[in-house]
Amino acid sequence: MMVAPDSVALQPLAPALTLLIAGSLALLVSVFSRNVRSGGVLALLGLVVAGTFASLNLVGAAETPTATFGLQWLTDAPAAALTLVVLVGALLAILAGWDALVPLDMDRPEYYPLLSFASAGAIVMIHAGDFVVLILGLEILSLAVYALSAWRTSDRGSEEAGMKYFLLGAFASAILIYGVALLYGATGGFAYAEIAAALADGAGPLALLGSTLILAGLAFKVSFAPFHQWAPDVYTGAPLPVTTFMSVVVKAAAFGALLRVFASAWPGMLPELDLMLAVLVAATLIVGNFGALLQSGAKRMLAYSAVAHAGYLGLAVLAAGQELIGPPTVAWYLAAYTFMTAGAFTVLAQIMGDDPRGDRIAAFEGLGRRRPALALAMTLFLFSLAGIPPLAGFFGKALAVQAAFEAGWSSVAVLALVMAIVAVVYYTRFVWAMWFVRGSAATPTARSAAAGWATALAVAGTVGLGLFPDLWYRLLEGARLVVSAGL
Amino acid sequence: MSFVTILIPLLGALLARLTRGRLAAAAAFASTVATFVAALFLPGAEAARFAWLPALGIELGFDPAGASWVLVTSAALAMIPAVLAAVRHGRGGDASGFLALLLIMQASLNGVFLASDLVLVYVFWEATLIPSLLMLGLYGRERRRGAVTKYLVYAVSGSFLMLASILALRPLSGAASYAFVDLLPAARSLDAVVQTWLFAGFAAAFAVKLPLFPLHSWLIDFHRENHPSGAADVAGTLYKVGGFGFFAWAIPLLPLGAQAFQPYLLALAAVSAVWGGLAATQQGDLKSMLAYMSLSHMGIIGVGVFSLTEAGMTGAMTLLAAQMLSTSGLFLLSGMLYARRHDFAFEAYGGLAKSAPALAGVTLLVLFAAIGVPGLSNFPGEFLALMGGFAASPGLGGLAVIGSVIAAGVYGVNTYQRLYQGKPHDRVPDLGPREVMILAPIVAGILWFGLAPAPQITSIDAATQVALTTDAASESPRSAPPLALGGER
Repeated sequence: MMVAPDSVALQPLAPALTLLIAGSLALLVSVFSRNVRSGGVLALLGLVVAGTFASLNLVGAAETPTATFGLQWLTDAPAAALTLVVLVGALLAILAGWDALVPLDMDRPEYYPLLSFASAGAIVMIHAGDFVVLILGLEILSLAVYALSAWRTSDRGSEEAGMKYFLLGAFASAILIYGVALLYGATGGFAYAEIAAALADGAGPLALLGSTLILAGLAFKVSFAPFHQWAPDVYTGAPLPVTTFMSVVVKAAAFGALLRVFASAWPGMLPELDLMLAVLVAATLIVGNFGALLQSGAKRMLAYSAVAHAGYLGLAVLAAGQELIGPPTVAWYLAAYTFMTAGAFTVLAQIMGDDPRGDRIAAFEGLGRRRPALALAMTLFLFSLAGIPPLAGFFGKALAVQAAFEAGWSSVAVLALVMAIVAVVYYTRFVWAMWFVRGSAATPTARSAAAGWATALAVAGTVGLGLFPDLWYRLLEGARLVVSAGL
Repeated sequence: MSFVTILIPLLGALLARLTRGRLAAAAAFASTVATFVAALFLPGAEAARFAWLPALGIELGFDPAGASWVLVTSAALAMIPAVLAAVRHGRGGDASGFLALLLIMQASLNGVFLASDLVLVYVFWEATLIPSLLMLGLYGRERRRGAVTKYLVYAVSGSFLMLASILALRPLSGAASYAFVDLLPAARSLDAVVQTWLFAGFAAAFAVKLPLFPLHSWLIDFHRENHPSGAADVAGTLYKVGGFGFFAWAIPLLPLGAQAFQPYLLALAAVSAVWGGLAATQQGDLKSMLAYMSLSHMGIIGVGVFSLTEAGMTGAMTLLAAQMLSTSGLFLLSGMLYARRHDFAFEAYGGLAKSAPALAGVTLLVLFAAIGVPGLSNFPGEFLALMGGFAASPGLGGLAVIGSVIAAGVYGVNTYQRLYQGKPHDRVPDLGPREVMILAPIVAGILWFGLAPAPQITSIDAATQVALTTDAASESPRSAPPLALGGER
């Protein structure tokens, strides 16, 4: 889709700006108030206002996508939709951790500002129309999340997670930046549209090497195998509210960026990259699902499950060239994924309380009797993650597999469904423990009204998207990415 | 009307779950009766289509034509006694959870039978999985864990391979939607190799749920470990929908794939029929005997379906509907016997006819129906199915005929003798009023299918003809001659 490059406009920036302002205000308030929650209220307010702006953008961008600041900021329907997904993910993560900060010894006032800044970075990545803005967004997001992973200073595991994520993340960023530099050398442009125009006659070795490095850097962020190894350790070590945030918001932002790069910087002109992506996706499906099968703790199981779901999302990115299928599928899947994954982590936080080993399968035993509502919610999330209809995860898988078939990657699509059989086994183990095993009643569970609201919202999303998939898909239909802006 | 037969049991399940004791039982009973009444209106009902995910061509479409209404009606009739048998079972005398699961199961099965959109079929197909698992996991006998795991692995492996075929079907064929009418012409134009691969995916799911030898072992464990009342076994009996899947979807959509697989599937079905029959004669307890008997019936259904002849396919679906009543009846009778002796082993029985002549009489009638005695429910379907099998392959068809029919005679008569004849152990009570109420719908259904099968057969036959019609593009010789069904009318 072609649009004329616009000069300066504030409305497309409004969601990101709102979050920056909310975060800064929260930081300012923390100087006067020791109560961490005042910052939290501001952060929530920021999310709601940003959500309103993003909704307006979604309605407007479906009609007229815009490119502002030259080609640097692209506002189209997929970007607006993914922004909404990021905001919902951040909302769920904040609610999930609302009452957990004090028991986990995390109640320092910079917590909520960092979450706001990270979300703003995610939105920047999603809208980026050139590699410099993409790197900028990535670093805004990543620096905040590095700090958040190590937020629980009393816990060595959390420190380890922060350190590991920082070192490996910095390494991945360096690879990405090196790739961008090489690609600039080959094409003379940073904007995706300029690069696509320069590569239209085929890519030389320099451009190919640069593109490969970029793919590797982004593969780290979306946790494609074999670049996934940080994910289980960091997800397990980081405090659960932060893990919730990472698993949904970081993933949505990284996939938004990956989708756009594949659709507009290398739109079907570099078959080598498509093949590399397919191999990564296949490896991710296998490693993620079998990795999850081998875990005995729920945290690591969900971490590997997040890797596996990156594989399913990758199927949709393989269809990035099919502009009517790829982008809506990625946006639809990420919404479903956000609800069910954030929901599962939220419930897990309530099951674990502040017991670091509370995610063993033994903690799930008998939950169906002790906390039937909580167990029912967890069952819905796990079944949805497994792809059992009529829950959101089923349509996500169906859409993604369908997209891969449309894009001609039948073998990867079939592999994805064969791996889904493995997935049923590891998710069902926990369901079985909740309902069919009599547990020791001694295992305590934390109660929190805010986490309850987050769970309810996630259940509504998981069930609602499953029963009425068209309500969300209708908004995404014809959601084409801005590919080349008037060049 | 199609939608109503799915909605009523769902509402019934909700009511049953929210209430306790007698109220729950009354709600469940009322909803099964209402579903049956609604099912009676299905033959004249229109097909209905609503948008669900139009961008992908997925819709909420229901069509009661063909075999669908017959199966829904038969299942509705079998579900009434199942609910009646289940009202006393459950933890602490409260069966509301169990009843709710039974009704959810019924709603999902009706969905599988009635859906006219392939993705919707899959949704209902998976929806049956959860209530049946919970029924076994929550209310089964001691060694149920193994049975649940086995069942889950079989069912899920099959169904995800089927999902791969389903999701590939529309992109590869270029059909406008997943509705049967849109898929039919598009899918048939696929070339033989693609059709064979896609058929393999469907076959993986349907063969497990047919079930077909050697994928049948979950079935035996499933029946053995389920609640002894027999109510859950009724659900399990209705659950053998694999034959319907082949009949209504895989064979019509992918005729070339079906032809490629026909020899193997026909052979497996014949083996299932004979193996099930022979194994049934060797079992020392009633529940296992019934499970193998059911496997034998399913083998005969498979022989009919995979014969790819008009007689065979029509007969197979007629038998599928009819055996819902006879097999359910026998499982319910096994529950009644268990209530008297608390054992399924044949040694615990003998000579019951003396003290319980009515129980013995009904058992004999249902057993006769099950082994295919003319004039009772299973005969027309079994006859046609085996005839079709014989026409398609005299060797395999003949094997199925000889093996399954002779074995049926042996296990049928043996079972009756071991239960009711011989030296009486001690006195048992005869049928009580509740048991009469449980058995009445079964007996009525057996007589209905035995004496007036023509409307069902005619309707099913219309669907068979659609399935077997080949357009000029994919014209291929079919061995079976067209069949006149005059004898049945």
